[in-house]
Amino acid sequence: MEHFKIEDLNFSYPTAKGKLSLENVSLTISKGEYIVLCGRSGSGKTTLLRHLKTVLAPHGKRSGSITFNGVPLEQVSERDQASKIGYVMQNPDDQIVTDKVWHELAFGLESLGTDQKVMRARVAEMACYFGIQDWFHRNVADLSGGQKQLLNLASIMAMQPEVLILDEPTSQLDPIAASDFLNTVRKINIELGTTVIVTEHRLEDIFPYADRAIVMDEGRIIADDTPRNIGKLLYEQKNLMFAAMPTPVRVFYSAGGKGDCPLTVREGRTWLAETFPKAPAVTALPVSEPDEEITDPVLSLKELWFRYEKDSPDILRGVNMEVQKGSLFAIVGGNGAGKSTTLKAICGICRPYRGKIKIFGKPVEKYSTGELFKNCLSMLPQDPKSLFVKKTVREDLEEMSKDKDHVAQIARLCQVTQLLDSHPYDLSGGEQQRAALAKVLLTDPKILLLDEPTKGIDSFFKETFAGILADLKAKGLTVIMVSHDIEFCARYADTVSMFFDGQVLTTDVPRRFFGANSFYTTAANRMSRHVFANAVTADDVAELYRINTGGSN
Amino acid sequence: MHSDAFSKCHPAVNLVFFLGAIVATVLIVHPAYVLASIAGAALYYMLLSGQKGLKRILVLLPIFVFVTAVNPLFNTYGDRVLFKVFGRPYTLEALLYGASLAGVLVAMLLWFGCYNAVLTEDKFTSLFGNLAPALSLLLVMVLRMIPNLIKKGRQISGSRMSVGKDASNGRTLTEKISGGMLVVGTLMSWALEGGVVTSDSMQARGYGTAKRTSFMIYRFTGSDGVLAAVIAALLAAIIAFCAKGAASAVFTPTLDIAPVRGTNLAGFIVFVIYMLIPSVMHIREAVQWNISRSRI
Repeated sequence: MEHFKIEDLNFSYPTAKGKLSLENVSLTISKGEYIVLCGRSGSGKTTLLRHLKTVLAPHGKRSGSITFNGVPLEQVSERDQASKIGYVMQNPDDQIVTDKVWHELAFGLESLGTDQKVMRARVAEMACYFGIQDWFHRNVADLSGGQKQLLNLASIMAMQPEVLILDEPTSQLDPIAASDFLNTVRKINIELGTTVIVTEHRLEDIFPYADRAIVMDEGRIIADDTPRNIGKLLYEQKNLMFAAMPTPVRVFYSAGGKGDCPLTVREGRTWLAETFPKAPAVTALPVSEPDEEITDPVLSLKELWFRYEKDSPDILRGVNMEVQKGSLFAIVGGNGAGKSTTLKAICGICRPYRGKIKIFGKPVEKYSTGELFKNCLSMLPQDPKSLFVKKTVREDLEEMSKDKDHVAQIARLCQVTQLLDSHPYDLSGGEQQRAALAKVLLTDPKILLLDEPTKGIDSFFKETFAGILADLKAKGLTVIMVSHDIEFCARYADTVSMFFDGQVLTTDVPRRFFGANSFYTTAANRMSRHVFANAVTADDVAELYRINTGGSN
Repeated sequence: MHSDAFSKCHPAVNLVFFLGAIVATVLIVHPAYVLASIAGAALYYMLLSGQKGLKRILVLLPIFVFVTAVNPLFNTYGDRVLFKVFGRPYTLEALLYGASLAGVLVAMLLWFGCYNAVLTEDKFTSLFGNLAPALSLLLVMVLRMIPNLIKKGRQISGSRMSVGKDASNGRTLTEKISGGMLVVGTLMSWALEGGVVTSDSMQARGYGTAKRTSFMIYRFTGSDGVLAAVIAALLAAIIAFCAKGAASAVFTPTLDIAPVRGTNLAGFIVFVIYMLIPSVMHIREAVQWNISRSRI
């Protein structure tokens, strides 16, 4: 039985001068389906999702119809829509209304005027189902991002919705919290039969389990099929969305694999094992020997020890690190391992109580703040929004440098020229990231520090971003980035360092680093490690596959 | 904080008790009553906060001495002149009156300290959830917004610092001020943007579609009822005894303090019992716990 039926939906925003944000969208969603909606930023995913709930629908010109359980959506009362259609948004923090976990859980029920007894039972149920009992009485402010988003979900589930709509729910979460969250959503779909419609950048975790994947581009639905067929279709169309597909799918098609396309790492392993029943001739790709001696360190950290308060545990416990000039140095590791604190220590925001930090051979404390952040060191913060203080991107950039040619040149480099007259808050996540990078680069840094630069960015923007970083490296800049995104690090970094328990455990080139790990490694490596020795990206696996099967190109 | 029996009661009962204790303390200046109130509050405060509590209570001692000593400087009524300061009499009556007032002040501060530890913000707002749901929700949202703004403000100034545009880095005072204003302005637009999401999230969860109810996390149980009745009865008795002058105390111009004996003694005992309620509950729970543990 159909749940939502969308027919010929057209929509344009009042400011878009007639340009359609949604064009002839027709879609039927059945009860209990799990649907993944994918597409680049700005392809109309959020606009479409918001139309599925009247109070959230954007203002503008609309034609076409949407029915919910056979009734036109605008005739379904707000109250019914509130309880039956659950909507989880991107930002975990801003969605929360109250200050206590228990109160937030009850918020929707309070709004619906549910009586005390029912409310008590529902809240208890939700707390148990989502494992919230342990933090039931806590302040919302003390929760992690993952817990906050789980709370948002639980608060909506307490109203017992029939449909759950999730708009990039994990874009602000680290990978572990993100896959926890998505597993919970899947569990809801399987155990309760709630219909799920979700948009995501990170398809690895959800794509294989979806009943249907819908691809949008420029406001139109360009594909609507099972995940397995979608991969094939996108590859044949040479669609840019192909880059967002899970690793096994990308490997399969770019290697020219035969048979059924694998969707998960497990299927990928089986596929490789069947293709190569005996060990293939070439199992490893060449690895550039790292220069044993770092000849020209721009930055060196020696035995850094740091804690926030006198009686608190040490965050940094003897960090040693040397960074070669002109390289892209990636720091990976779990939450609370001391990665971001190390960046802060380099910037002089935290002062280690023991150890030495040398920048260009000169101890950091010998620099005045003016000196340090002018032509020397610059940091792109985790939330690029915190850098914007003006009404347009142009004003923001000109705050940093009076030289208009210089601003124009950096804007070109970061590909924000066409965005200069927009308000920084109107940009998408990836655009904000690039505008913020432009702002930071206007200080003419020689060392660029990046804190989680790929958080919440889709795969196309990631490629653009990597391209910009390569340009900067070519100009002699040294880039140090802290990231959870191991796929990105494996692909683009020159050196990867693993942080654990306040120390650097290993430092190596990505191929050797991820090749040696068996859990903390990329999907491509997990999928191929029984056959190939050091393939860490989808391209690596595809290349080795082609070499060994004698495939063309 | 250790487990405390009184804190576990319904917040309404807590609130009524503290209101009663504080109002009675402020209105009665009879030295015996003041002492009883200080004793009750100090004991409970120490039970709540242990060693640290004792230190904080000792801090109140200089305040007590100061207020006591200062009162006769302004109030020169009284017969028994101890000595003269700047040609004005410094009288025993005024000194005693000062001591009593200082005692009231100390007792009040202590009761407020206990109030803060027992009636946390969320308990307070939940009390008014049913009476004024909109107001109570507003209060809750403000409580959440303040720490959020502080956190975001820090984040923005940290980001400014890492590109060398720190507000404190400005060369002139105007530069510093305009740098600071930029941070505040950014904070405001950031907060407004977040506000739009919050209001979407509220509407999406049916805010305004029905008459709001309030989730009462604290239940009013039978024992809450009994305690409330006891508190009400004791308060009524205190009022009745006070009306008959059991706690009357006049210091100036001549000392006239009601003696604590006969019926007056009964009134005093009622007052002492009232002030000891939370401490007795706390100690009783601790004792019961020890007994039941020793049986294992």
